[in-house]
Amino acid sequence: MELQFEDIEKSYKDKKVLKGISVTMGTGVYGLLGPNGAGKTTMIRIMADVLRPDKGRILYNGRNIHDVGDEYRAKIGYLPQDVGFYSDFTGRDYLEYSAALKGMEKAYAKKRIEELAYSVGLQEDLKRHCSTYSGGMQRRLGIAQALLDNPEILILDEPTSGLDPFERIKFRNIISAYSKDRLVLLSTHIVSDVEQIATRIMMMEYGTIRHIHSSREYIKMMENYVWLVEMPAEELVEYQKQAVISNVAAKGELMEVRVIAKSKPADNAVQTVPNLEDAYLYIFNFLPESKEVK
Amino acid sequence: MSLYRFELGKLLLNKKTISLLVCLFVLYSLIGFATSLFLIGSGDSYRVYEELAADYEGSLDAEKAAWAKKVYEEISTRYGTDSRMIARSIKDQPETMLALKYNEFAGRVDEYWNGTPPESAEEPYGIALLQLKLEELEEQEKQSTFEYKKLSDSLKILTALGEPKFANILLWENLFVNWGEHLMQFLLFVPLTFIIAPVFAVERETGMDHLILSSRSGRRKIVTAKLLSILTASVAFVVLYVAATFIFGFLPHASLHGWDAAIQSIPTYARSMFGFKAWQFAVIGAAWMIFTGAVYSLIVGLVSSRMKSQRGTVGVSLAILFINVGLAALGDAVTQRIQPLVDFGLANVTLIKEVFGGFKFFDVFGMNISYPVMALLVLGVMTLLIIFGIYQGQKGRTAA
Repeated sequence: MELQFEDIEKSYKDKKVLKGISVTMGTGVYGLLGPNGAGKTTMIRIMADVLRPDKGRILYNGRNIHDVGDEYRAKIGYLPQDVGFYSDFTGRDYLEYSAALKGMEKAYAKKRIEELAYSVGLQEDLKRHCSTYSGGMQRRLGIAQALLDNPEILILDEPTSGLDPFERIKFRNIISAYSKDRLVLLSTHIVSDVEQIATRIMMMEYGTIRHIHSSREYIKMMENYVWLVEMPAEELVEYQKQAVISNVAAKGELMEVRVIAKSKPADNAVQTVPNLEDAYLYIFNFLPESKEVK
Repeated sequence: MSLYRFELGKLLLNKKTISLLVCLFVLYSLIGFATSLFLIGSGDSYRVYEELAADYEGSLDAEKAAWAKKVYEEISTRYGTDSRMIARSIKDQPETMLALKYNEFAGRVDEYWNGTPPESAEEPYGIALLQLKLEELEEQEKQSTFEYKKLSDSLKILTALGEPKFANILLWENLFVNWGEHLMQFLLFVPLTFIIAPVFAVERETGMDHLILSSRSGRRKIVTAKLLSILTASVAFVVLYVAATFIFGFLPHASLHGWDAAIQSIPTYARSMFGFKAWQFAVIGAAWMIFTGAVYSLIVGLVSSRMKSQRGTVGVSLAILFINVGLAALGDAVTQRIQPLVDFGLANVTLIKEVFGGFKFFDVFGMNISYPVMALLVLGVMTLLIIFGIYQGQKGRTAA
């Protein structure tokens, strides 16, 4: 299975939000990282066929998704950034309605609803109205909805927002187990969401995808660029104006500052093991935009 | 699982709408009951009226007409000529009431033979007037014109219908007032607008459009389900109105008398070109209300599919419903120029009084088409365009 974006462009009024996105995705988990306003949600909406590009096309196994139509939408599960609910629907109504929209058989839908309610920990809450759910519960219900018909393509926009750490780990496990022979696109600005599970991570900014690598490749890219510097707290305020800092931790009387820099940032700086968050900061602070991946 | 079941649940079978339906049923029943009671003071008065009227039913009797005219003159001297004022003042006097009804009937018979004055702006009506107009056109050798065809057809129909006959049709008259006046539009179509308005707009308001538009059935099957639920809701509303006003309109006097009288016995329908009996017209009237209710509901559905909010949908839909009432207020000079908009505007075409109450023909490629048939065609074409528009709209719809 292959999904190919061909020179996708999208503008809102005179603001160009996507500037010729071209990328090919196969099976596996794809992470989509980028700052707010990068165009992640627009790209996801076009992929979910709820938004039309101004230019370009998406090919599903070589066929334009608009020509494939219902057949393409039958293959996707989509969790939007803001999950909507009807106020008088219970959790079960919502999932049953989703199943009807997906054209699922009644008996199969019932079975899947029970399975997924258990997976996302809502089995005791399906009789309650969605409007009484907490933000995290609504998110989990949305995840269950997206997974309902075992979609071949799973599109998740900010799936972990509102989830507590335990729920986030549980979500990651569900997605990892689910992703075999499927395409999962997971858009987020929380780096740790994708670090463990994504096979490929796309870094997006200003409507373009700047890099696509595995987590390991990104980390390798950072070798020799991550430093730990100890300094008094009063110097930190001034220092952070000129340096890219990924973390600060108190260490006795001093502060231990994690700095991204191409050269040794201070005499007492020592190199440390990089992570994906460091790579994220490095790409969006040091690398020029021209390094866009086609 | 059926999408239709869900859509119907969202639109009609939910606590809020069912509560509203119950309240409306009570309101409609009260209206049926109250208007029926207002016609005549009590059950006993109605019985007396029914017995008295039995002697008067049939063709015009000159002696009875003279008596009726005399009573009318006395009454109008006492209460003035305002018919509502008179009706209120004599509602406990069955004999006086009968006299006034008979006097009105005599006027209709006169109009049937002699018609409207030739200088009147109304459509020509009456045997003598139609014959006169036709002779004038024949003298001008205009036998092949639409005008000639129209008048000739009118004369044929009028002759076939025959002279009006008097009948006690009081309760049926009340029923057709409840079904055929603007009040019905406020009582039925306005609440219907609020019920149908969310059908598409709610998806945008709640953010559910993302889920719908990205699903297999979210572009076509959902539209079919929504259209069916719109039609079901609209039929349910109209049937509720029709049933409540019918049952509670006849209940106070426990009589269906006049069921087989011609609708020409009712003043409002005296000029109708159709030879319906009262019961037949009740069936046709109810069917027409169901049909026009469905067309209007589809219009609301179309507006809802294009709007972002339910409130906006309600506003635009009501403006569409009443646009020709507003236009009519601008005077004859304006309405004559936009006559089709007035004739086929919803405020007119949903009223059985307007559609079935007169002699009205349209020239369609030289063919003489009656108003109801023409309205049926226009609304039919409109319905097809609306359905096509809704499907196309959903096909290209995006979630912002």
